Amino acid sequence: MNKLRTGAFHTGMILLSLLWLGPVLWVVVMSTRSFDDIAAHGVGSLPRSFTLDTYRQAWTDGGELRALINSMLVTVPSVALSLGLAAMAAFALSRFRIPGRRTILLLMLAGNLLPPQILLIPVAKFSELTGLYDTLWALIAVQVGFGLGFYTFVLHGFMRDLPGEIQEAATIDGAGTAQIFTRVMLPLTRPALAALGALSFTWIFNDLLWAITVLRTDDNMPVTPALLALQGQFVSSWNVIAAGTVIAAVPTVAVFLRFQRHFVSGLALGAVK
Amino acid sequence: MSDFDPGRRRFLGHLGLAGLGALGASSFLSACASSASGPTTSNGSGAVTIQSNLSSPQAKAAMEKLIETFNAQGKGTASLNTIASETFRTQLPTYLTSANPPDLYTWYAGSVANDYASKNLLLDVSEVWKSLDDYPQSLRTLSTDAIGKQIFVPMNNYWWGFFYRKSNFAKWGVQEPKTWTEFLALCETLKGKGVPPIGIGLGDTPWVASAWFDYLNIRINGAPFHRELLAGKQRFDDPKVKAVFTRWREALPYFDPKGKAYPFQEATTALLAGKTGMFLIGTFFADAAPKDALGDLDFFRFPIIDPAVPLAEEAPTDGFFASAKTANPTGTRALLSYLAGVEAQEAYVKASSGIVLPANPRAKASDSPLVVKGKAMLNEAKELTQFFNRDSSDALQPTADTALTKFIDKPDQIDAILREWQAGAEKVFKG
Repeated sequence: MNKLRTGAFHTGMILLSLLWLGPVLWVVVMSTRSFDDIAAHGVGSLPRSFTLDTYRQAWTDGGELRALINSMLVTVPSVALSLGLAAMAAFALSRFRIPGRRTILLLMLAGNLLPPQILLIPVAKFSELTGLYDTLWALIAVQVGFGLGFYTFVLHGFMRDLPGEIQEAATIDGAGTAQIFTRVMLPLTRPALAALGALSFTWIFNDLLWAITVLRTDDNMPVTPALLALQGQFVSSWNVIAAGTVIAAVPTVAVFLRFQRHFVSGLALGAVK
Repeated sequence: MSDFDPGRRRFLGHLGLAGLGALGASSFLSACASSASGPTTSNGSGAVTIQSNLSSPQAKAAMEKLIETFNAQGKGTASLNTIASETFRTQLPTYLTSANPPDLYTWYAGSVANDYASKNLLLDVSEVWKSLDDYPQSLRTLSTDAIGKQIFVPMNNYWWGFFYRKSNFAKWGVQEPKTWTEFLALCETLKGKGVPPIGIGLGDTPWVASAWFDYLNIRINGAPFHRELLAGKQRFDDPKVKAVFTRWREALPYFDPKGKAYPFQEATTALLAGKTGMFLIGTFFADAAPKDALGDLDFFRFPIIDPAVPLAEEAPTDGFFASAKTANPTGTRALLSYLAGVEAQEAYVKASSGIVLPANPRAKASDSPLVVKGKAMLNEAKELTQFFNRDSSDALQPTADTALTKFIDKPDQIDAILREWQAGAEKVFKG
């Protein structure tokens, strides 16, 4: 009976993971087919050709190298800056009796409830007013601004539950606020920061909407709009796009594999209160 | 909650720290990002920026080559900026209304360009047109806005038609039809042979159905009525419009039933594989065909329904317009003159794989039989229309998509569908 159960469980899980991996596998297979093969037999047919030239095309013609560099130039500072600012805000809001701290927190969270689409035009106009339009600075500012509310909320929840005695002990030992923050709070918040860092990296790296809102020069585009630019007006080389997609997925997959553990804990963050 | 009150002074000190932290972070940031965020704007004498939606690899390469040649000529400098065509479509209004817009844009002639012109967003390019006196009057009219100045410079156009594989038509022993009756007879023959006669691809690309509406309307009611209808001067619930659908219903049983599920690119694959007989589509579809099938393609014009109606064809025209706010109008006009010239147009036609006709009458098109036939068809036409969205607006297109897909599903509800379409269109014209 037990054996049967284990067997059924494994079969079920294998089928489920196949269902999950199917589309990914499909993209990988598609990226190795020639254009004429896809045009003659459709995107859904079994492969009848094999080529790796699609990767060369995506890399050179599609300008993926430049796009990946741009993505990193946006993602890394955005993650660092938003988590740094969020940690400070969360520290202040959770450990000090700042008047109206509850309102501040709720206000930051409320910003996340707005659908970003209604802010597209204001953000575009505002970035123009500040002279940042069409620079990576604008994108970094937008990503930091939009991430801040949520990260602060999560980190606030985490820091609030750290025992106050640690802080009191540090104060008695003569540590100032800055020292308490950098030498006591931040090390203790590391699991939460790692989880949020991994999550925010994928969010910012995979973002398309803001990139095309505040940028208009192809040399400045990060990797997601660059992938979109591989599409023609009417007809697209799906094999090249698939190859580009595979390349673009590498950094996020690398981050995931490195921070796998934190991803899972990240999903559970704030779940247990 | 373990609150901890360090007193006001400490709190202020903390604020100071936060400020310092932010400063530190941003200086780190500037070290990281400054290499990529240089200004891309053009001043009075700087490079003219072209915002291009020609993102397919061949068209992009063709444009890059043109700009390279222009820069080598020493009459000015230009820089090309290729944006994904879908992104371009949604962002174009933002580009045009921004404080420091790109100078030149690829886009469509006709009412879409005139819309922007009526908002004073487009540069007057009448000067460029002075040297284009051998362009046909139809293109000049198309490039002129409501107050009579030219705001558009056409680059090329293409045509729509019923495409088929010569080898398949030979195998089935059928000929190109000339009239609607012959067309229906052809459909019947093909159906008898077990081939769905008319291919279509409406999944993801529902706008393809508008070609049927456009053509039936210009064949039955003529191009002037069609334009007035699309400009909101006629009603969609008019009996004349209903007559279009009565004709369409005659052909409806011959449509490929699978066509509702897949996009036109897959409908192309079906046509090439002999799974459908023919396909009403623009020449751009050939980009989705494998190279070895191109020589086997042929087309015929949309069959004549009423010989008394002056012959009109769909010939969507692509080209350029410039922003009224350009900092370098002289350079922009120089570039436009270059792009409208014989040399540039021939180079573009040669480099881009698409089957397109250059707008300049002195520029030679490709001499493949297909292009020769297409050019002859357009030359024979008394009037040229653009396409549903180009003759109206991108806002009206969805109302057509809804109405036409509904009609193909439930043709007997046509009265209700047309009433809804009229209501939807009124909203668009008012808004």
